[in-house]
Amino acid sequence: MVKLCSKIDMNYIIFLLRKLRKALFSNVFNTVITLLIILFISLACFQTFEWLIFKANWKVVSSNIPLYAFGSFPSNEQWRPATWIISILSLSMLTLCGPEWKWLRKNLLIAWVGTIPLGLYLLYGGFGLSPVMSRHWGGLTLTILLTACSSLLSLPFGIVLALFRQSSLPLVYRLSSIYIDIMRAVPLISVLFFGQLLIPLFLPAGIEIDRVWRAILAFTLFVSAYIAEDIRGGLQSIPKTQIEAANSLGLNQYQIIRFILIPQALRIALPALTNQSIGLFQNTSLMAILGLVELLGVGRSILANPEFIGQYIEVYVWLACVYWMVCTIMAVLARHIEKRMTINQSNF
Amino acid sequence: MEPIVVAKNLTKSYTKGLRALDNVSLTVDQGKVLVVMGPSGSGKSTLIRTFNGLETFDKGELNILGIKVDSTHDERKVQRIRRKVGMVFQQFNLFPHLSILENITLAPIHVQKRRQTEAEEYGMYLLSQMGIDSHAKKYPNQLSGGEQQRVAIARALALRPELLLFDEPTSALDPERINEVLDAIRRLAEQGMTMVVVTHEIGFAKDVSDQVLFMDSGKVIETSPPNIFFSNARHERSRKFLNQLDNQ
Repeated sequence: MVKLCSKIDMNYIIFLLRKLRKALFSNVFNTVITLLIILFISLACFQTFEWLIFKANWKVVSSNIPLYAFGSFPSNEQWRPATWIISILSLSMLTLCGPEWKWLRKNLLIAWVGTIPLGLYLLYGGFGLSPVMSRHWGGLTLTILLTACSSLLSLPFGIVLALFRQSSLPLVYRLSSIYIDIMRAVPLISVLFFGQLLIPLFLPAGIEIDRVWRAILAFTLFVSAYIAEDIRGGLQSIPKTQIEAANSLGLNQYQIIRFILIPQALRIALPALTNQSIGLFQNTSLMAILGLVELLGVGRSILANPEFIGQYIEVYVWLACVYWMVCTIMAVLARHIEKRMTINQSNF
Repeated sequence: MEPIVVAKNLTKSYTKGLRALDNVSLTVDQGKVLVVMGPSGSGKSTLIRTFNGLETFDKGELNILGIKVDSTHDERKVQRIRRKVGMVFQQFNLFPHLSILENITLAPIHVQKRRQTEAEEYGMYLLSQMGIDSHAKKYPNQLSGGEQQRVAIARALALRPELLLFDEPTSALDPERINEVLDAIRRLAEQGMTMVVVTHEIGFAKDVSDQVLFMDSGKVIETSPPNIFFSNARHERSRKFLNQLDNQ
């Protein structure tokens, strides 16, 4: 809008103002209502800003920044999760506004997938870094780790489920349909409970999966059912003639899936998949109820500290801002990738 | 020499009573062009789609390049046939997520296991033969219909087939784009490629075909050389069809 006005002469702005006056102050009744609304909005804004700037005690945020970011990670090792988050941020910047070198664009996907092993190495330690138990992981680091691992694992699992659901073998088709239907009929929190409380009971004695991995497993089981449905939508929108053309070229079943169906289905399902991963990011906050100290969990434990008791609003406003920022970055990245694809494929 | 295509009494019915193919027999010799004509719904497409196994049939026998297929539709034999038979569709059916060159090299690399550089070189040669090598890096939707159909022909040729099937290759094109595709097919005929072409283009059928096969409701009405078929067709039904095409 700003761009538009600067290009067009003052007359247009005057025209707009006249139109506004006509709409808002055309008679006494309209004028009164307009003034009332303006009064109400400005009062609300004033109150909010007054609270934000003068009344709120932001010490609960400012003195605990490392806690929000890294949880109870040993303080002399906190450079490790910091490095990880910074490397993800710089990779985002590189993806969004990096140079157009061909080798760079080709290897970006590998770099993105590579952030997960890098993060696990930096967090777990070993190979020269001192080991840190997963119960010390926390804060934004843990939230990002949960999101990244769960989305990466649920994508292949979802693809397999979607393919099985398209299968002509009745048993395979039935099993995947039943799985998807059950997962979609059950609330996420109960799957997470199942992961935290029941998986240890089912496992034979001696085998133990730690809590973070149990959470990742539960998220993967749940989200992959939804991803499977998104990808099935993509698969169904590929015309049958594509398969005929591939058949006539002598490609076999596996090759058709690998080279023709999956790439097209993923591209069509991309907006829905973005939705899923943003949803997943927000849903990791449920783990706070189940005892993981991720971002929301950190907030709750800080509120339990007698020094900061009662400062709910400050903490939750701050947490909302952090969640909002990360989600925005994810959304911008996804939109960027979608745009690049449509440039390449014209209006495919 | 053994014929390239021999069909004996092919019969296919979709639902009871409605026959897509009714006792169809035909032979195509090496280097010959068979043009299949007929009103829509007469089973022309079904017929040529049986030749590379895209359609099954209920009765009869098919011998393509020495590989015999019957109604059991043996998957392995069909795969062997598909490696030697290229097909061009009415709607081009290019893969929209692959570039033009990738569309062409996909099957040579993954089906015939050729090296990528070799497949790309041959792909570029085919594109230059079709006069569209400048578009190699583009994507299908950036090309016009006629260009896309020429890419589809190049893609079918990339497997170095011994038989080419064309299923109404110009029916989805703008009138002014039809000739560029027909010219490409004509050149292939001059080079001695064995082809079966389903088409409504009379002028093209006249110069390119060695035999014209006319079908109606799943039956072969007549098979004649083009000079006889177009000037003095033996059957009343064929003459009526040709008259209707002329009037359009």
